[in-house]
Amino acid sequence: MTAFLVWLEDTALSVLIREAPSVWGFPFVLFLHTLGLGIAAGMSVALNLWVLGWAERYPAAPLRGAFPIVWLGFTIALVSGVLLLIAYPTKALTDPVFYLKLALIAVALWQVQWIRRRLFEADGASVSQAPSPAMRRSAGAALVLWAGAVLTGRLLAYTYNYLTAAELLRGA
Amino acid sequence: MVEQTIEWLESTALANLVFTYGWLWPISEALHFMGLVLLVGSVGLFDLRVLGLGKGIPPAAVHRLVPFGLLGFVVSVLTGILFVTSTPDQYFYNSAFHFKAVFLLLMGLNVVFFYLVPHRAVRTLGPHEDAPRIAKLSAALSLAFMTAVMCCGRMLTFYRPL
Repeated sequence: MTAFLVWLEDTALSVLIREAPSVWGFPFVLFLHTLGLGIAAGMSVALNLWVLGWAERYPAAPLRGAFPIVWLGFTIALVSGVLLLIAYPTKALTDPVFYLKLALIAVALWQVQWIRRRLFEADGASVSQAPSPAMRRSAGAALVLWAGAVLTGRLLAYTYNYLTAAELLRGA
Repeated sequence: MVEQTIEWLESTALANLVFTYGWLWPISEALHFMGLVLLVGSVGLFDLRVLGLGKGIPPAAVHRLVPFGLLGFVVSVLTGILFVTSTPDQYFYNSAFHFKAVFLLLMGLNVVFFYLVPHRAVRTLGPHEDAPRIAKLSAALSLAFMTAVMCCGRMLTFYRPL
């Protein structure tokens, strides 16, 4: 594991993202990660608030087009997240909070698919007007899951044990 | 003047709280991001409806999400005040912060414009009705300014004065 981290941090891409003296390097990747998170979590939260508040009164079918936007945001966050991971693999992979964050995101994304299947038939028509109690619980849980993902993600800057593989080797 | 303001801000009770309780800053950062998520999601979905996504729902219905966006904005502003108050020198001399302030102002002016001019027409739109072009322009600017504010915010760390 440590050998892999040492190797990864020494690759040209890792060094480039970490050390390029340009805003188009690390800062820009961080911005993309925030943008992707804003779109994915934001759109998912808005859609789940809709399920909790207004799905009863309006047919949900027109909102079908908003679901791919969650995945667009997630793709931006995933690609930029992988780049951040390549830049500082030791920092993330040796921090238990990082795995908690991934788990929260995985469940939150699964919920997006779950609620979409319950809102729409395969042909895009609304299944029913009134969301079931299970759908309401799921929508409420999604708000907590995304808040947890944002919290754990933000805390990674404070909870890491080793910044680089060199620190890990030194046992710093 | 700027230096006196900085000194005064650093001497406030709020700044002292941040220095005393180490967890306050990271938790505020998380809340700042949660506010951002709420704002971008709620206002963003309304902007997208004005631009033509999910036309089957009248814009006035999607507009009911906007108070949640406002709540998110207030959370972000309050936590933002905490950051600037406790380390004012990190922001006052930071060009990323200057740009962020400009984009926040533009965002605010666009909101005022939207509610003064096209909102009346947008509010009365039924399902499948297209918003006027001026409303679409305002919605597109809303998305653009939110993105710009986010970008400048993220750049703050890298333009910190030493």
